[in-house]
Amino acid sequence: MQAVEISDVTKSFGALTAVDDLSLAVPEGSVYGFIGPNGSGKTTTMRMITGIFYPDRGAIHVFGKQISRARSQWIGYLPEERGLYRRMAVRPLLEFYGELRGGRKVTAEVNGWLERLNLSQWASQKVQTLSKGMSQKVQFIAAVVPEPRLLILDEPFSGLDPVSADFIRSAVLDLRRRGVTVILSTHDMGVAESMCDYIFMIFRGKKVLDGTLASIQDRYGTDTIQVAAEGGLESLEGLPGVDRIRDLGQTQELRMAPGCDPQQVLRTLISRTRVTSFSVTKPSLHDIFVRIAGPEAGETKVA
Amino acid sequence: MRRILLIAQRDYLATIRTKAFLVGLVVAPILFGGGFLGIALLRSHPDIKDRTVAIVDRTGVAASAVIEAAQEKNAKELFKKTTHRQIAPRYVFESVAPEGDRMAQRLTLSDRVRRGQLFAFLEIDPANLHPGKDVPGAGVACYSNSGAFGNIREWLEGPVNDGLRRVRLAELGVGENHFDDVLGEIPVEKLGLVSRDEATGQIRAADKKSEIAEFAVPFGLMLLLGMLVLVSSAPMLSAVTEDKAQRVVEMLLGLVTPFELMMGKVLAAVGISLSSSAVYVIGGTVVLEALGMAGLVPFALLPWFYIYLIADVIMLCAFAAALGAGCNSPQDAQQLAVLLMAPVMVPYFVFALVMQQPNGAISTGLSLFPMFTPMLMLLRMALPGGVPLWQPWVSLAGVVACTFGMVWAAARIFRVGILIQGKSPKLAELVRWAVRG
Repeated sequence: MQAVEISDVTKSFGALTAVDDLSLAVPEGSVYGFIGPNGSGKTTTMRMITGIFYPDRGAIHVFGKQISRARSQWIGYLPEERGLYRRMAVRPLLEFYGELRGGRKVTAEVNGWLERLNLSQWASQKVQTLSKGMSQKVQFIAAVVPEPRLLILDEPFSGLDPVSADFIRSAVLDLRRRGVTVILSTHDMGVAESMCDYIFMIFRGKKVLDGTLASIQDRYGTDTIQVAAEGGLESLEGLPGVDRIRDLGQTQELRMAPGCDPQQVLRTLISRTRVTSFSVTKPSLHDIFVRIAGPEAGETKVA
Repeated sequence: MRRILLIAQRDYLATIRTKAFLVGLVVAPILFGGGFLGIALLRSHPDIKDRTVAIVDRTGVAASAVIEAAQEKNAKELFKKTTHRQIAPRYVFESVAPEGDRMAQRLTLSDRVRRGQLFAFLEIDPANLHPGKDVPGAGVACYSNSGAFGNIREWLEGPVNDGLRRVRLAELGVGENHFDDVLGEIPVEKLGLVSRDEATGQIRAADKKSEIAEFAVPFGLMLLLGMLVLVSSAPMLSAVTEDKAQRVVEMLLGLVTPFELMMGKVLAAVGISLSSSAVYVIGGTVVLEALGMAGLVPFALLPWFYIYLIADVIMLCAFAAALGAGCNSPQDAQQLAVLLMAPVMVPYFVFALVMQQPNGAISTGLSLFPMFTPMLMLLRMALPGGVPLWQPWVSLAGVVACTFGMVWAAARIFRVGILIQGKSPKLAELVRWAVRG
């Protein structure tokens, strides 16, 4: 069964079409990554799945049921804009949210999660005394207590230090192992590549990518060279058969023009400078993102 | 419903646990009843400095009689009978011989008043001795620069008339020993109506009416209602704006519908107003009981008081929630707060008019307007004579309909407004959200 099925959904705000004729199927038990530039429609799509917004056209089904006006107790939601009652203590706040969704006392689960995320000693503190990272973890707990069937996380890792991010990442993967379907949006392509079974990219309200990472990369073929060479970016300029160069600092990513032979590129390069590493790969998700959503800093168009 | 109750419970506890709530419980009655408290304080600590009044007597015969009457009044009113404490200023008189140039003399005396040597001066013209219909110029002039609260005119009216009447009686040859008999004042006592006791069949004597009670009870009841409504609905506006600014609402809207969220908040406000009212009603009853004035508590009106209170709080809180949902900052909210105050402030401004003519067309009309019904109908019901039986019920129907309408419209505005950020609302926009949903 599909956990979420979005069929021909359109949502507009005044003259702006935030989501345009979108169809998407999220298989149960998968981790689905939503990517796309800011303002492209990720949050609006997520808000429609949670039932905060209603689509103007089209239908959304969650576990086979039309998303109704009553919020589903199956869905745990972590909004992008974090918001907690600042003057409430952590544990009562989490119990309030949990009971609101689950309809029952959730004290034991709250305690379990507080312990797991190293927050037990903060349980009686007011939210306003917590650091940003800690309140983000508290908000994550609010989304997963009681355990949902579908977990929607809007930018779950933004602003987290690596340790906290690891805690959340392992918690999400754990939930997924227990059968929870996860939808998460991220600007970190590394997260999308490493965590997600499926990736969906939305751009200007329209779906532009949808599938597994491998199937998406296959569409672009093996047209990318990752190279490290003495002289860096300067030594690579003007290479024949290279369309674009993305400067990553220590290494550079080259995109080959159609029909270009990587062996020829390597030969030319060796004749110019000392090459320390050279590999021919499929384009990274980052590269694909940039190809779709336009030029970014650090990229040089080869004339 | 369970979710509404959960939200209501959280908001209720979050509010009543704050210091601001407890402080408000004490401060609100002082703010609302402040003016009246001030008057009461002034009455209990009157100015008892002597007041010197000059009399320019152009009749040649009135001054001494007026002064004599005034001194009798001084003797009667100066001290409290039980404690013998002076409770009123003593009026002292100074006879001033009339001069030919009236205006010049008035100016001289006026200057003395300005310098504080005199409190006022009177000028008694001969026309006042026999003020028949055909005599022009009757009327004693009292010149003073004291404010309205000095009530010098009211105080002097008695002795002046008394004095002049004594002169007239003397002219008619009535002996001084008959003056009291002729001029003695008889009080008129105000009583309620005689009724028959339904249980025993006996005729019940009429109650003595205290004018203070007749004023204070209806006014106090109306004031209490207005105050409770305002203190429980005014924080709603900023609370919703704050929740919105702190981004709490999106989290909540993932869990409950906007209607559930709004009604939870409204219900919390109803709970807060009921808790505060319990403090005031029970406290007021205990105090009046202790003062031996328990009879003043209008127990029969308490059910209406509570019906109107709950309806009014729901109506205004839903309105406040909708306005709050449209706002993005406390500044926005403040600008709209005046809309919220109107249903409470308008009755507050017109209460005097309603008290004078409780069953006049304007009073009836205003009290049937649902926004003003709770305060004004309650006021009219508490006044002696009450209102026609149909009016509370008809107005209640209006209030209930208006409350439902308000909640419906507010929920629609709330749903649209609550997630819109960074845009200040225009009133027309709020109306459009209500209509289109």
